[in-house]
Amino acid sequence: MTDPHNPEPDPLRHAEVQQAGAIGYVSGTILTIALLGVALLITEQKSMQPTPVLVTISGLSIFLLVSQAILFFGLDVSRYNIWKSVSLILTVPLFILSIGLTVWMFHALGPVMAMPEMPGMPLQPTTLQ
Amino acid sequence: MDAHAKREGPLPPMWHYGETEHDPISTKTLGFWLYMLSDALIFAGLFAAYGVLAQPMNAAGGPTIAQIIHPVAAFLQTIAVLSSVLAYSLATVALKTGNRNGVLLGITIAIVLGIAFIGLELSDFASLFAVGATPDRSGLLSAFYILVATHGLHMMFGILWMLVLIPQIMRSGFTTAIVARLLNLRLFWQFQASVWVCVYVFVYLRGAIQ
Repeated sequence: MTDPHNPEPDPLRHAEVQQAGAIGYVSGTILTIALLGVALLITEQKSMQPTPVLVTISGLSIFLLVSQAILFFGLDVSRYNIWKSVSLILTVPLFILSIGLTVWMFHALGPVMAMPEMPGMPLQPTTLQ
Repeated sequence: MDAHAKREGPLPPMWHYGETEHDPISTKTLGFWLYMLSDALIFAGLFAAYGVLAQPMNAAGGPTIAQIIHPVAAFLQTIAVLSSVLAYSLATVALKTGNRNGVLLGITIAIVLGIAFIGLELSDFASLFAVGATPDRSGLLSAFYILVATHGLHMMFGILWMLVLIPQIMRSGFTTAIVARLLNLRLFWQFQASVWVCVYVFVYLRGAIQ
């Protein structure tokens, strides 16, 4: 594999170059467009209540992100990908916690600010306004 | 100590030297991957801010999110960004066999589709500006523009990266450094598809049902 006159190995033989696969990339693309199309149809039909729609499209998006991790990024437990997989698994909870906790902390803001003004209890505008 | 000195045969290796060869490509892709994970946390901050501000009260009397987003029109952006990612990914399939023309063709198609995506986004922004829905109108609109435009900015930098890579490939071919850059750009470009899934679902589809 290594030319004795040229000690640098051929970079095109590297495992991360050779892991590219047309079938995985085409499948990932079709799957993403198709499922986002399904999510769009569910949303546009307005035949379901908002909460089930939200749960359904959120589930589809999580499925798509996992599919992309496998079909696009080629993540697995091989020697060349193990630390990418581990670092992603460790980052996902941070991603979810940072969004989830922030939204949860402020989730009561909308209803409270939307309360009608009561006599003797004027609501002050917030900096968000 | 003495027991070791009297031991016959070669000493057992303390480290497997054959496995410690420096791998410049894997080192760079892992480093870039870690950068992308930190970039994902920037998006987490923006999604969190948008999640807090995406309420009618934060529209401050201006347009609500349901009034400014167009999920069907944004689906064209979805097709554009995913087609661009596919074109670039297939360019790296051509890289496996050292097919320089295939790589350059894939990158060129990815650039064109990436520009189409940005064109659609700017067109959407222009139509919102035309009706007075500017970022300074409300906290909701500020969060909307910043989140969507940050993804668009990533797309622009990706296109710039491709434009820089094309002459390098034509001049030097597939050296170790250029192959590492091509692999890093593949990670970056595919990452844009994943971020767009979140933007499309969290902003456009969720906004339509609010």
